[in-house]
Amino acid sequence: MKDCEELGDCPDARIEKLYDYLDGELSHKDLVEIKAHLDSCAECAKEYDLECVIREVVKRSCRETAPTSLKDNILERIGQLKTAGH
Amino acid sequence: MNTTAPAGSSSTENDQLDVSTESDADRKARFERDAMQYVDQLYSAAMRMARNPSDAEDLVQEAYTKAFSAFHQYKPGTNLKAWLYRILTNTYINLYRKRQREPLQSHSDTIEDWQLAKAAEHTSSGLRSAEAEALDHLPDSDIKNALQSIPEEFRLAVYFSDVEGFAYKEISEIMNTPIGTVMSRLHRGRKLLRDLLSEYALERGLGTPAAVEGVKGTKQESAK
Repeated sequence: MKDCEELGDCPDARIEKLYDYLDGELSHKDLVEIKAHLDSCAECAKEYDLECVIREVVKRSCRETAPTSLKDNILERIGQLKTAGH
Repeated sequence: MNTTAPAGSSSTENDQLDVSTESDADRKARFERDAMQYVDQLYSAAMRMARNPSDAEDLVQEAYTKAFSAFHQYKPGTNLKAWLYRILTNTYINLYRKRQREPLQSHSDTIEDWQLAKAAEHTSSGLRSAEAEALDHLPDSDIKNALQSIPEEFRLAVYFSDVEGFAYKEISEIMNTPIGTVMSRLHRGRKLLRDLLSEYALERGLGTPAAVEGVKGTKQESAK
């Protein structure tokens, strides 16, 4: 994105806009603009791809399954709470 | 209107629910039906907070206990998952951070400018697709390590956004911080994370010319 100024004046502003785009936090007008830009600018499209991959790997690697006992323990505790508190 | 309710659900529709007249048994049933489905997700988040399975379990159990006690304050129809995450985050701060005697903000200003500058340089190198490819091949353990290595409030913001898909406004409520702060935490956290992942890729021989130039300042290719 070095030579690309269409999304903002400095690299920080540009990447922030890309984050906002990926996070779904842009207005419709900005969204359309960025989408059009990504279609025409290979440099920003690469940047966009990389950010997408990072999101995917983070999502993928952070998926945990709670131990089966945890649910039971929670239900047991709120069962006790109910009788104690009311 | 409630098209997302499971077919055959015998429970009262949330829209018409009057929590003030709800019986204890009904409230408990509603809690079990609506809140318990998020245990795995909260546990995953707790693992990013407490860092080991045993503490993460304690944290989730404590958060659920608090959530149940306060369930009459939860407004039906609003975002229950975000509400539970907020309780989890508060529980973590009160329970675990107190133990460590560290304020949540402690790391905010310790990120050196050079680290951010380095991250910014990265964006100017070419061959992104190769780097994206390399990062995609990193094992899950590397991703978790990288996440654990970035300051906590950055880590949690990135987690809430990337993994849970919460909006900035929801994250600001969960973390009890202004939206501008959320955005800057996300911005800085993502740059640090990306930088670390590039370094890990290099160490594993998944390096790309772009990553080598960005991280080491050399044009040598480490893996062909």
